[in-house]
Amino acid sequence: MDTTNKNEGRRDFLKKSTALAALTIASPALIKAGDNDEKIAAYFEKVPLELEINGQAYKLSVEPRVTLLDLLREQLGLTGTKKGCDHGQCGCCTVHVDGKRINSCLSLAVMSHGKKVTTIEGLAKGEELHPMQEAFMKHDGFQCGYCTPGQIMSAIGCIREGHANTAEDVREYMSGNICRCGAYPNIVDAIMEVKKGGKQL
Amino acid sequence: MMNIDSYTHVRGESVYLDDIPLVNGTLFASVFDSPVAHGKIKSLDIDAAMKMPGVVRIFTAADIPGENQIGGIIADEELLASTHVHFCGMPVALVVATSDEAAKAAVKKIKIEIDPLPVITDPREAKEKNELIIPPRTFQLGDTTAAWTQCDYIIEGSTATNGQEHLYIETQGAYAVPQENSAIRIYSSTQGPTQVQRTTARVLNIPMNFIEVDTTRLGGGFGGKEDQASAWGAMCALAAWHLKKPVKYSLHRMEDMRMTGKRHPYSSDFKIGLNKDYKIVAYEVTFFQNAGAAADLSPAVMERTLFHCTNSYFIPNVKATAYSCKTNLPPNTAFRGFGGPQGMFVIEAAIAEAAAALNVSPILIQQKNLLKTGDEFPYGQIAQSEANECWDKAVNLYDLQKLQQEVDAYNNNNKLSKKGLALMPICFGISFTKTLMNQARALVHVYTDGSVGVSTAGVEMGQGLNTKILQVAASIFSINPERIKVNTTNTYRVANTSPTAASASSDLNGKATEIACVAILQRLKEVAAEEFTADISSIEVKEDCVFVNGKQTDWSWNKLVQAAFVKRVSLSEHAHYAPPGIWFDTTKEKGHPFTYHVYGTAITTVTIDCLRGIYEVDSVKIVHDFGKSMNPIIDIGQCEGALVQGIGWMTMEEMLYDKEGKLKSNALSTYKVPDIYSVPKEITIHFLETEKENLAIFRSKAVGEPPLMYGIGAYFALFNAIKAFNPAANIPYDAPMTPEKVLMSLYPQTLKENK
Ligand code: FES
Ligand code: FES
Repeated sequence: MDTTNKNEGRRDFLKKSTALAALTIASPALIKAGDNDEKIAAYFEKVPLELEINGQAYKLSVEPRVTLLDLLREQLGLTGTKKGCDHGQCGCCTVHVDGKRINSCLSLAVMSHGKKVTTIEGLAKGEELHPMQEAFMKHDGFQCGYCTPGQIMSAIGCIREGHANTAEDVREYMSGNICRCGAYPNIVDAIMEVKKGGKQL
Repeated sequence: MMNIDSYTHVRGESVYLDDIPLVNGTLFASVFDSPVAHGKIKSLDIDAAMKMPGVVRIFTAADIPGENQIGGIIADEELLASTHVHFCGMPVALVVATSDEAAKAAVKKIKIEIDPLPVITDPREAKEKNELIIPPRTFQLGDTTAAWTQCDYIIEGSTATNGQEHLYIETQGAYAVPQENSAIRIYSSTQGPTQVQRTTARVLNIPMNFIEVDTTRLGGGFGGKEDQASAWGAMCALAAWHLKKPVKYSLHRMEDMRMTGKRHPYSSDFKIGLNKDYKIVAYEVTFFQNAGAAADLSPAVMERTLFHCTNSYFIPNVKATAYSCKTNLPPNTAFRGFGGPQGMFVIEAAIAEAAAALNVSPILIQQKNLLKTGDEFPYGQIAQSEANECWDKAVNLYDLQKLQQEVDAYNNNNKLSKKGLALMPICFGISFTKTLMNQARALVHVYTDGSVGVSTAGVEMGQGLNTKILQVAASIFSINPERIKVNTTNTYRVANTSPTAASASSDLNGKATEIACVAILQRLKEVAAEEFTADISSIEVKEDCVFVNGKQTDWSWNKLVQAAFVKRVSLSEHAHYAPPGIWFDTTKEKGHPFTYHVYGTAITTVTIDCLRGIYEVDSVKIVHDFGKSMNPIIDIGQCEGALVQGIGWMTMEEMLYDKEGKLKSNALSTYKVPDIYSVPKEITIHFLETEKENLAIFRSKAVGEPPLMYGIGAYFALFNAIKAFNPAANIPYDAPMTPEKVLMSLYPQTLKENK
């Protein structure tokens, strides 16, 4: 993806737009929200961001408004994490930050400064799958596969949090991950199996 | 065999439209859509939007070089509104910018002035005003007028079923990349690549052979990407054609929900007559389909409602009339079941109403009227029925009597919690009801290293089609499945495809693949026969080896393939399949439209909380007619998934438009789809394996749509649970049965007093 182009465009605009004067108008909240998204964005310079993603260290410079999801997908090409709603309502975008599951569409990239992010791409060790990936394969825990990365990341989180003791438990703590194909029964089976396997995840 | 996409699915490596690596210089599109449901456009002001950072160009109807038309069945829908808008969410302008955010920000700057015109959202009102998409149609069997005199009981009523948002987790989208000589490649998240190609050709006024549509897979379709994917493909192509730059548009969830059509809401009237033996003697039904603002697939959906208006029952006298009513909602479209579920709900409601009036169990009436082989459907086809087999098996296997006793005992012992049980038989015809669409082609190449590539017209959207196609090729060639790759669906490789729909795609594309593989295999066998100077009938290819008279030779599959190539024998085949024996005469409304029917029976048990109105589906126990399933893992997944979607439609998915035609349930926060917590606690599926001949691929019957209709059982189980609490409850047949409606039905008196 040609991110350079896009960012260059914005920087040009910033120069042209007598931005420094504009910055003195205090809090961007004063500008009518929605109407001026792009202008507000243009007033901000990029900020540095250092983080680790799937074991690799990154030194980036991002706009403060960029979500972790967009950073992963659009700037780093890690498209395994999916966007289903962008509003925290479907769970497709679930990743781990310092081992905890979060909706990456609801998290600004800058919030992960200094942290360790794991995405679906970071689970397997080469060819060797993570136990949860194996269990999803074995139990056919998907149909179209679009929700699957989020389900798997969330499922690992669910077990780590100690919330997978019963099938009922799993249902409760996986209810934030929508699967429109309705692969739910198999998803529950997959998670229960990994839980019973007792491996440290 | 496991779904062939399993490995990439769990690793996040499966590629969907939004994951395709972008070509340098790609631009991003976003639509400005009408904020008003009906009106005349007075002015459209794009000046401020044009000045927004990153905006490259804004397209309107005036920029369309060809026809501003996307209507498939009827040419009644503009790609971009020119003079009038007909629904909230109708695309008016397309902003193209250097980033997705920039395009979306500029959309907000567009101003439109619209002189409002009257808005219709109710199909009955549309019918009154004669706003119809096509003239009404009537299916008739016997003579209902005469039959009423033979009835001991006649019961009438009305029903309503709401629409349903597809909510494919991958939203709609397309990505158009210009090619040399003004050709265009479109990556599209579509069930109908040819439909995207045809629509784009029409809009751009260029021939179809200049447009390549390519689809790897969909993150769900469910019918929503059958016709409704075309607009986005055509729009991206329009922009790419003008700008000579790649243009991508991946819709935001809220854009998608606002602008696309859904399952058709229906409002219906019924009149049912029974004799003393509870045999249904006559049935009259009138359907008012809420088509939305343009035809889209509504006429075909309406037709299927008529086909399935008697579900699994034989009724000697039937008169079913359907109106496709034009309203100012987004054009409603295909959704798993395609009008069938809407038709079946009404007959089930009629039976429930009759049972209540006669004070018998609806199960008795259902059972007494099940279709038998030899019975005639209202459209003239003679049934090859498995209805009784499925029903009896379910009743015995799951011990209906005991289940019913458990429910009764529970209800006797619990005051504020009640259980309900319902049976739901299904019968669903397989084939496109438009006979001409029942054709498919497959292109099979065997490469000189022995590997095989298969391309078909079918689109993989989670239903496991590609896995089944691969199984077909592997089984005909009798080679290791790992040698075979199923390729993307591409209009340059396989042309003039029907959309992947109607549950028929494994049959159509599977058979075409079978024919192609058989032809290649035949040629390979000829080569082997010559080599071993044996009769061709003594040659077999088995497990990657050549056998002569049952004895393994030292010729491997690879050696055979190479020998054929050296002999200049073709290793490729393009095959065509059109199922025989199907036809339909719309002037008489009679024929034999379906290659076969799929049957089944589900027993659903629910528990309602009589203080709060909330409920749980305890179990759904199914006997389903799979024919001879060629992939039980996939077929069970389809069955469970369809069931859950059906339950969602019948219980919790409440689509709401206001009087102005604005969608209120416009996000996942306001539109509830089944989550993992709301699916039945227990789903049991028993395979009714039938050895009878049928026209399904390897006799493995279609499974995509039929199980959705088991979900209707959840509605009636809730209905019965409410009755257990309040036998006098007068429950309207108005799906979905949301917890709110359950609560209101439990306490109708309180409701009245508080009004
Ligand atoms: S995309 Fe983040 S929750 Fe839906
Ligand atoms: S597998 Fe399709 S949404 Fe879950």
